[in-house]
Amino acid sequence: MRVILECKVRKKPTLPIEAEAIIPRNFLKGTDLVVFEGNKERKLSELFWIFVEGTAVSPENIEIVLNGDTSRIKRVGEYMDTGSILITGNIGMHCGNFMSGGTIEIIGNADSWLGREMRGGTILCRGNAGHYCATGYRGEKKGMQGGSVEVFGNAGDFCAEYLAGGTVHIHGSTGDFPGIEMRGGQLIIDGDATRPCANMKDGTCVILGQVHEMIPTFEKIDRRVLADWKITADVYKGDIANRGKGTLMVKTPGSVYYKK
Amino acid sequence: MSELLVKNACVIDPIRGINGEIMDIAIRDGRIVESVSDRSETIDAQRCLTLPGGIDSHTHVCGTKVNFGRYMSPEDMRAGRTQRRGKMHVTSGYYVPTTFGNSYRYSAMGYTTLLEGAMAPLEARHTHEEFTATPHQDMMANTLFDGNWAVMDAVREKNIKKAAAIVAWTLNAVKGYGIKLTNPGGTEAWGWGEDLTSIHESVPHFAVTPAEIITTMIKANELLKLPHSVHLHCNNLGKPGNYQTTLDTFELVPDLNPNRQTLYATHVQFHAYGGGTWRNICSKAEEITRSINSKPQIVMDMGQIMFCRTMTMTADGPMEFNLHCLHHNKWSNHDVELETGSGIIPVTYSKKSAVNCIMWAIGLELALLTKSPWQCLLETDNPNGAPFVKYPEVIGLLMSKKYRDEECATLHPDTEGRTSLCALEREMDWHDIAVMTRAGQAKALGIINQGKGHMGIGAEADIAIYPIRTDSVDPAREYRKVVEGFQKTRYTIKRGRVVSRDGEIIVDGANATFWVNAKVPVDLKMENDPEFIRRFEQFYTVRMSNYPVQDVYLPRGRCIETEAFT
Repeated sequence: MRVILECKVRKKPTLPIEAEAIIPRNFLKGTDLVVFEGNKERKLSELFWIFVEGTAVSPENIEIVLNGDTSRIKRVGEYMDTGSILITGNIGMHCGNFMSGGTIEIIGNADSWLGREMRGGTILCRGNAGHYCATGYRGEKKGMQGGSVEVFGNAGDFCAEYLAGGTVHIHGSTGDFPGIEMRGGQLIIDGDATRPCANMKDGTCVILGQVHEMIPTFEKIDRRVLADWKITADVYKGDIANRGKGTLMVKTPGSVYYKK
Repeated sequence: MSELLVKNACVIDPIRGINGEIMDIAIRDGRIVESVSDRSETIDAQRCLTLPGGIDSHTHVCGTKVNFGRYMSPEDMRAGRTQRRGKMHVTSGYYVPTTFGNSYRYSAMGYTTLLEGAMAPLEARHTHEEFTATPHQDMMANTLFDGNWAVMDAVREKNIKKAAAIVAWTLNAVKGYGIKLTNPGGTEAWGWGEDLTSIHESVPHFAVTPAEIITTMIKANELLKLPHSVHLHCNNLGKPGNYQTTLDTFELVPDLNPNRQTLYATHVQFHAYGGGTWRNICSKAEEITRSINSKPQIVMDMGQIMFCRTMTMTADGPMEFNLHCLHHNKWSNHDVELETGSGIIPVTYSKKSAVNCIMWAIGLELALLTKSPWQCLLETDNPNGAPFVKYPEVIGLLMSKKYRDEECATLHPDTEGRTSLCALEREMDWHDIAVMTRAGQAKALGIINQGKGHMGIGAEADIAIYPIRTDSVDPAREYRKVVEGFQKTRYTIKRGRVVSRDGEIIVDGANATFWVNAKVPVDLKMENDPEFIRRFEQFYTVRMSNYPVQDVYLPRGRCIETEAFT
C-alpha cells in the first residue's frame, strides 16, 4: 500500500508541524490521524491531500510518500518500527527519532537531529543533514544504538555524538566534533572533519578526508592499509584523557583516496 | 469581597491545639474570620480530614541547579507529560518536573507554601523567575552562605556583628529568606580541589573551621532576629561514619531563641551513618535522636529516601563528586564565584542495594525515635531522597507498623541486622502527621505570625481537605487508604480560593514570595563599608550595583522586616 501525503499550501508556511503520527503502522487503520500545527491540533486531512493506493494487511507493506514543502514538518517517523517513508523534498527536525526498523529515504536535505536515538532501521539522506545527525539528545548518555544512517551530502556539528551502535556514513564533510563521546558503532566520514571523536570511549571512526585540529589526547599506534578504500591510514587510540579504547583512523596525508 | 464557608470539617490544627473537632471555617478575602454572610459560597467537607495548607520546609524546586537537573535528564522530561487542560499548562518530568508540574502536584497534595532549600545569591534572579512560575505556592528562598568569602573573613576576625551585617545586606539584595549553610567551608575547599572531613579542620586559604562558621552564623542569625534559624546541611554528607560529625555539630548549638529552634538540621538521614566503609555502613539513628531528644533547640527533617530513580542536587559539590566516582554516570559540577558551588547526579535507589535499604530505614528510624514530632519534620529533600510525590507513602509508613513490616520483608537481608527499624512499634497518629507536614514547619520557619500553618482568626486561608474520614479509617491496617487520601486532596484552598479539586487545578495561581529585610544600624551597613565594596569590585564578575535583584523579579513580594541589634 502506498500513502501519498501532498502538503497543502498553508497560510503560515513557517509554523512547525509536529507529525509524530506519520509512521507506516498508523496508516493500517486509515488516515484519520492528528498532528499539531503550532499549538493547534489538526486533522491530517486539513494539512495534506491524502491519496491511498492499494491495500495492506501488515504495516511492513506500507510506504508513505511525503510531497511538497515538508521542510517544517518535525518528528516524521518517530518510533517507526517497520515499513518505509519516502520524502521527496527537505524534512524538518527530529526525523526518525527512536526509530527501530524500516526505511526512511530523504531526497532533499534533513534538518537537525536526524535519526536521534535510533535503535534500528535505515535512513538515507540524499542531501545534507543538519546538526546532531544520529546522536543522543542533550543530556542523554546513549545516542544511536543500532541501524544505519547514510548521508550523501555534508553533516553539521556534533554528528554521531554518543554513538553507541550501528553505522553512520557521511559521504561529505562534517562540522565540529563528529563522533564526540562515542561509545561504540562505526562512523565513516568521506570528507573532512574538525576535532573528531573527543572523549571517545569505544567504537571506530574512519575519516577519509582531512582532519582539522586533531585532538591532542589521541595516541598514534599504527599505520595500516585500508583495503576497502585502497588507502593507508594512521590509526589512533583514545581518547586517552578519559581512558578511552576507541579507534580513530585518519587517511595518511598524501595517500590518495578514489571515491568508489 | 469574596466569602467562602467550609462546613463540617474535621479539623486538626496543632498550633491552636485542635485535634479532630468537627467545625465550620469562615473565610473572607483570603483570611480566616469569625463568620461570613449567608450569601457566601459553601463547601461541604463531609467530616473529612481538614488541615492547614501543607508546608515544605526543605525542597529543591526552583533555581539554577534544579534547571540544570532538567537539562541533564531528557529521559525524565519524557516521563509524566500532561497536556494543557483548562487552566493547567503543559507539564513534563517526574523527578525534576517543570515548575508548573511541581506547582500542580504539590497543590494536588495540599501543599501551599514551599521553602527552596538552597539559592546561590549570585543566581537569585533565576530562582525568583521560577518562583513566579510556581503559581500555587507561596515561596521562600534559603540563601547560601557556606563559602561566602566576606562572611568567612568576618568569622576569622570573630566579628559577629559584621557577619550579621553581611547577611543582612545579602538577604536584602537577593530577596532571600534565611541562612543556609551547605557543608560549611567544604564547598569552598572544593573550589580549591579539596574537601573537609571534620568540623574542626581549617578551610584552605581562609583559616576558619566549619565549627567557627556555624557558631558565628547562629549568633549572627539571632542578632538579626531572622524569622528562621540557621538552616544547616552538615559536613560529611553521605559518608559512612559521619554521625560523629553530626553529633559534634549538634553539641555546638546553644539555645538562643524561646520561640523556635536555634538550628534547623536538614536531611539528617544522610548524616546518620555508622561504620567506616560502604560495606559495613550501619544506622546511628539512635545516637542522633538521643541527642535531638535532649536538645529542644534543634529541629531536623528526615531526608527520607524512597526506592525509585531520582536526581540528587545540592550545593555540596565534593559530595556529588564522590557519588559520581561510585556511579560513573552523568555529573554536573558548578562553582559560584565567591559564594558556593553545586553538583548534580542522577541516582537510582534500589531494594537490591544494602546501602539504599539501610538509608531508607534510617530515615524512618529518625522520625519514629524522635519523641516530639515538632523536632523531626517530614520531607525527602525533594528530589534528592525521592520526588515529593512520595510523601503520602512516607506518611503511610510512619502510621502503620504493618506497612513497614511488609516493606521490610522485601528489602536486602542485611537491613535488619544493621538497623533497628523492625523493632520499632511506634505508629504515628493524625495529629503527629499534621505537625510533621505543616505545623512544625510553620513554627520552624517562623511564619506562624504571617498566618501560615494554622487556621486561627486572621490566618491566611490555606486549607487542605483530604478525602479521609479519620473516624472510619484505621491507618495501622488500612494504610493504602491513607496513602491514596494524602495523594489527592478533595479541595486545596489557597488564600481563600479553591485552587485544586480532586487533583485538578481550576484557577490561575497568584503566589507570594516572602523575603526578609533585617535593618542594621547605619554605621554597620555594608553598602557604606569601603573594604567590602573594594573586595566585591575586585573579585566578583558583576558590579556591586548590578548585584541586587530588582523589584520587578518579585511581582508579589512580601517583605518581613526585622529590627536587628536591638
